[in-house]
Amino acid sequence: MKFTQQWLADHIEIDLAPQTIGEKLTMAGLELDGLTDLGAGLEKVEVGTLLEVTPHPDADRLTCCQVQVGAETLSIVCGATNHKQHDKVAVARIGAKLPNGLKIKKGKIRGQLSEGMLCSVAELGLAAEADGILILPPESPSGTAVADLVGRKGVVFELDLTPNRGDCLGVRGIARELGALTHTELKPLTPSVAQTDDTLAQIVVEDGQGCPRYSGRIIRGVTIGPSPAWLRQRLESVGLRSINNVVDITNFILLDLNHPLHAFDLDQLSLPIVVRRAKEGERLTTLDEVERTLTTEMTLIADQSRPLALAGIMGGVESGVTERTTDIFLEAAYFNPIRTARTGRQLAIQSDSRHRYERGVDPMGLALAMDYATQLILQTAGGKAGPVNMVDSGTWQPAAAISFRHERVNQLGGIQLSQAQMEEMLSRLGCQKTAQGTFQPPSHRHDLIREEDLLEEVVRLYGYDRVPSSLPRIAVDLPPLNPEASLARKATRLMTGLGYFETINYAFVSQGVQDQFDPGVQTTALLNPISEDQAIMRSTLIGGLMESARRNLSRGNRILKLFEVGRVFRPGENHSLLEEERIAALLSGELVSKNWHEPERLVDFFDLKGVLVALVAGLADEPLRFEEGGPSFLHPGRKALVFLGRNQTAIGWIGALHPTIQESLDSAQPLFLFELESRYLQEAMGRKSAKKGQQTLSRFPSVDRDFAFLVADSVAAQPFLDCIFSVDRQLIRQVTLFDVYTGEHVKDSEKSLALKVTLQADDRTLTEAETQQLTEQIILRVKEQFGAVQR
Amino acid sequence: MREQLEELKKQALIDLEATQSIDALEEVRVRTLGKKGALTKILRGLGKVSAQERPQLGVLANQIKEAFNQALEAQRSRLKQSALASRLQAEQLDITLPGRERAVGSIHPVTRALDEITTLFTHMGFPPATGPEVESDWYNFEALNIPADHPAREMHDTFYLPPAFDGSKRVLRTHTSSVQVHFMENRKPPIRMIAPGKVFRCDSDVTHTPMFHQVEGILVDEGVHFGQLKGLLEVFLVRFFERELPVRFRPSFFPFTEPSAEADMGCLFCNGKGCRICKNTGWLEILGCGMIHPNVLDNVQIDTELYSGFAFGMGVERLAMLKYGINDLRTFFENDIRFLRQHATVGGE
Repeated sequence: MKFTQQWLADHIEIDLAPQTIGEKLTMAGLELDGLTDLGAGLEKVEVGTLLEVTPHPDADRLTCCQVQVGAETLSIVCGATNHKQHDKVAVARIGAKLPNGLKIKKGKIRGQLSEGMLCSVAELGLAAEADGILILPPESPSGTAVADLVGRKGVVFELDLTPNRGDCLGVRGIARELGALTHTELKPLTPSVAQTDDTLAQIVVEDGQGCPRYSGRIIRGVTIGPSPAWLRQRLESVGLRSINNVVDITNFILLDLNHPLHAFDLDQLSLPIVVRRAKEGERLTTLDEVERTLTTEMTLIADQSRPLALAGIMGGVESGVTERTTDIFLEAAYFNPIRTARTGRQLAIQSDSRHRYERGVDPMGLALAMDYATQLILQTAGGKAGPVNMVDSGTWQPAAAISFRHERVNQLGGIQLSQAQMEEMLSRLGCQKTAQGTFQPPSHRHDLIREEDLLEEVVRLYGYDRVPSSLPRIAVDLPPLNPEASLARKATRLMTGLGYFETINYAFVSQGVQDQFDPGVQTTALLNPISEDQAIMRSTLIGGLMESARRNLSRGNRILKLFEVGRVFRPGENHSLLEEERIAALLSGELVSKNWHEPERLVDFFDLKGVLVALVAGLADEPLRFEEGGPSFLHPGRKALVFLGRNQTAIGWIGALHPTIQESLDSAQPLFLFELESRYLQEAMGRKSAKKGQQTLSRFPSVDRDFAFLVADSVAAQPFLDCIFSVDRQLIRQVTLFDVYTGEHVKDSEKSLALKVTLQADDRTLTEAETQQLTEQIILRVKEQFGAVQR
Repeated sequence: MREQLEELKKQALIDLEATQSIDALEEVRVRTLGKKGALTKILRGLGKVSAQERPQLGVLANQIKEAFNQALEAQRSRLKQSALASRLQAEQLDITLPGRERAVGSIHPVTRALDEITTLFTHMGFPPATGPEVESDWYNFEALNIPADHPAREMHDTFYLPPAFDGSKRVLRTHTSSVQVHFMENRKPPIRMIAPGKVFRCDSDVTHTPMFHQVEGILVDEGVHFGQLKGLLEVFLVRFFERELPVRFRPSFFPFTEPSAEADMGCLFCNGKGCRICKNTGWLEILGCGMIHPNVLDNVQIDTELYSGFAFGMGVERLAMLKYGINDLRTFFENDIRFLRQHATVGGE
């Protein structure tokens, strides 16, 4: 909502600086969003008289002008062609900084001195486009400020209004609010219209729900033409374009009194006007020249032959006022806010009128708006006014009076005011105390419905800042456990400790990313995505991580250790959408960068596997198992499903990105990924913390035995190690694989596994004989199961 | 023989002193005292001396042995010392050479801010709660006193999902205020909680991302009033920003609170003098709050005559930007590793 200080002065006499007014409004809930000087950029633009215009000696398209500005005469080179000797022009003097940002400096143009610029309306910020420079009226006094001449005086307030304060969408409403804040009376506004024509504006209201009140008046014999300067300047000062006198007046009333009006060309109507529901499929071309298809849910202004306007939203293109109009039908109505909102939303029409009706204009404000508009039309366009025909459907009733307990307001507001103080505040806002002691809110305040609303008004007028601050008394109790949050926190800390960077990625991805990283899953698409790239609810964290990796690689960040903890969305039964938390990580680049200590090394599968193992060990106390398998976007020979404890289903997977996808990323380096479902870890975390007792720490020495076995190349490490453990789960404490060797001295179809077995008992020192016996058992067991031969 | 012994002693001590290494020292010892050493050789002639002289020579030989051993140990210790000294000398490092790099990761600045906010409120007795990110129209709007067709819905650019099985609307939650309804539904006052989490709005430009984070908080109890809301948030803001800045409350509008307020804080960057960041107002908009609207409490069956409550909500990215000096909202979700490293912190609290 924009208005000027000058405009405000039409309604209230208030002797405060603009900044102070803005401050008061802000602290009353009408937030000041900007305060701009209307004349900004025009400070050094003055009226000049062209004494002499001669062609530029060295340029065909330029002229050299001698311009008298006040007492001085300036030489200015000009590129326009529409000026001649004795014209009055707008001269931007040296040092001026025009609204479009152009700075005027002294200089030479093609060798000729130029001490300023002759401006066009576009350069002065008065219009978007211009044809030649601005030629001012001949009577304009040389040397005066152009800003004054074109009405660019004072400041423009811009307020950011909340939707509950529709009553402040007009300058008079803001003045009324300021009056309440500063104990100032509004200037009276009592337009008087002499009825000089008898033609009745015939009206039939069929849709009383959609249109509680409708009034019309016929004005005959108007002359459509340009608006007077004051009206044009008013509209332009708040960024509206002047159209013609009658349309400008309806716009002025909208901005001034917050009451939308509509003027029809009477010649285009066959009365009576009918306010009715639209028929299904009925068509109307609105003022913006879009043909709209209507439904029976929409309220329409029509006549005997056709639809004319969408009630409260926009007029039709065929019945509007044009230069040829002589008789008009002026409409002032109160339309149903919800109906207006729905229609506007269904047809996607944003208009000043809709904006106001859906926030609720004053149902009792029709008469004032009608009379003020008529008075201004008669003044500027002439004509004869007929009587007002006002149809009240009886569907609007004033809101019920609100009961109000002064102690409760004090209690909830944390204030201590007397009943009298509160009543005085409410009366300042136009609330009337009834005989029952309740309060009747004014008809323009649709937001005052219940006691709490009056409470806010009281505290607001008193000043939020004056409410003393205190602290709530809080009982000591135990907060409920939140395992999801607790797992996320722990996992995040473990991963950062392991050197990984937490990322946060969007919850939506493109269809392409979705298909690549979770093919076959039924996806859920947003109905109104912002873009194709963010259209599908993610069902895996990988898409986002890969996108982050891609962006980093393209920016030359080659060492990537990324992770995310977040929710994914998966289809459940009956089209439900399940939210699952997951943990995913991505690793790529060098594990050891080139340095003076040791050779560089790229990461591999086992670097990420080690991280996964460490992460899970930090959360759960159950063994991990890796089995061949995993999603199709991974390298078929370098991927695994991850199993935890007794879970029969995999809790996730780990692997190297498939080389073809890696190539599509333009990445020279392989990428490794894992993704785990949090709920399994959450459950295991619960079991871990529920576990009682403590593991015994043996006080007796342990013995290490090294082995080297030759096995077939196809033997997998994990079952081999498990087999060794199975020899004696009490005494074999640890099995460490320290070498996997193929090559010289080993047959092509075989490999050598070297490992260290740590033996220890809780209750004794192991004897040489026991150790020897275990050693032999180990050798025998792996020979039986894997055909392993000791080297 | 006595002369021979004296000569041996003299020579052996000279030899000892001349040694430069433990090996040489050992060689002197073997040569002097060894089984085939000089002393043994001399003493072999002991049978040829008189019985009278023999004990005296024996004593002398022992004295020589002792003296030699003493000198030997002294020399050994000297040699060890100097060997140690030269080893230490040799082991001298250029301690300015770079150490082996060890990478530390970092939590995302949004998580860091969420942690800080959550920790402060947890200390004040507000435990964190979570709720769904996909919401029904009821939890996101209706229950919060935002009926369909209310202009307040336009304050939320809502993402819609296909309707649920029963035909009801589904949205991505536009605020974490929806969690308050879930939380209050099954509880009796006193109720306290905060709800940190992701929220979604269909808006994307320099100052808006379609996903961001909020923390919602509520307190419902007997006698809760607006002054307490002010007090609590003032304490929070001073603690969070670690600065004693003025806080002001001004009327605003949220459908689920009445009265509603916006809390501003004196600008961190210009101390209220006015700058680009505070748009020359000297104030930064920080959070929204208010007394919970009775319609909301009615919707969760809390008696508004007995109880009252307040609610507040804040945008985490905004707080993080102000506190950590991040100037472009969009960098949060680009996850550029240089950005993440710049804001690296492992712990939080």
